[in-house]
Amino acid sequence: MAMKGGFEKKSKAAADIPGSSLADIAFLLLIFFMVTTAFPRDRDRPITWAEAEAAKKIDEKAKNILNLWMQQDGTIFINDQRYEMPEVSQVVAPLYAQSNRALVVSIRGDRETPYRLMDQLQSELVSAGVVRVVFATRLEQRMQRERR
Amino acid sequence: MLGKKRTRVSGEVPVASTADIAFLLLIFFLTSTNFPKDNGLAIVLPESSETVEVSQKNILHLVIQPNGVVEVKRGESPQVQPMRAQEIEGLWRQEIAANPNLIAAVKTHPDAPYKFMIDVLDALHSASAERISLQVLEI
Repeated sequence: MAMKGGFEKKSKAAADIPGSSLADIAFLLLIFFMVTTAFPRDRDRPITWAEAEAAKKIDEKAKNILNLWMQQDGTIFINDQRYEMPEVSQVVAPLYAQSNRALVVSIRGDRETPYRLMDQLQSELVSAGVVRVVFATRLEQRMQRERR
Repeated sequence: MLGKKRTRVSGEVPVASTADIAFLLLIFFLTSTNFPKDNGLAIVLPESSETVEVSQKNILHLVIQPNGVVEVKRGESPQVQPMRAQEIEGLWRQEIAANPNLIAAVKTHPDAPYKFMIDVLDALHSASAERISLQVLEI
């Protein structure tokens, strides 16, 4: 084909949209999404979520959110590692300093956790200097309907 | 010419379907990626040195008992009104209209489950309360 129709082809203008760059476009998009997707750094702990109707989306970049898990028995996990209550402030303080004081601690507590532990946790965070805290909850569906 | 073409075997791997493969991957990643939706009740904890003296008449005490009953106490008055957490929203709207400087002091019993505190905090957030103090009930 190349040797026979060489002359003819040159003079002919292409009748259809060039499709050869389609793959490049697709790969570009693919790479963009692969790069921008932030996967959670830590694995979820088995907790029963508390529910709240007024729960709002945390308005902060994912990298500035530190998940702090507290299971029903009071075990604390930060970044997949288990910590004791008195260690929390020592663990969180350097992370807070690293983030230029932008860190938001998302407390993911089991709904049945005694409040005593939550209070201790809050004082640990306060002594680490972290003041922006979110009580992570699931959105209460029933109320969602009522609100709109 | 036509006869010649049919017999010829292409020596190259066909690349025409590359776009389809790429789009397939793209669509797969688009649909399978679920962005974590973090919802929660945001609060700002006080600095460790921060203590503010507040007049008793500007405080609405909300004492959360281990069984989930919320005891409402206004300022210094000894009168206690038991309530459900859902009723706090309406109460707060009434109270804040009467006294815009009101502060909600949520005092949770140490043995009360966390969810009851969340329920009360939720009600206060729903009523757009801004001045909330979280404490543990001293027994």
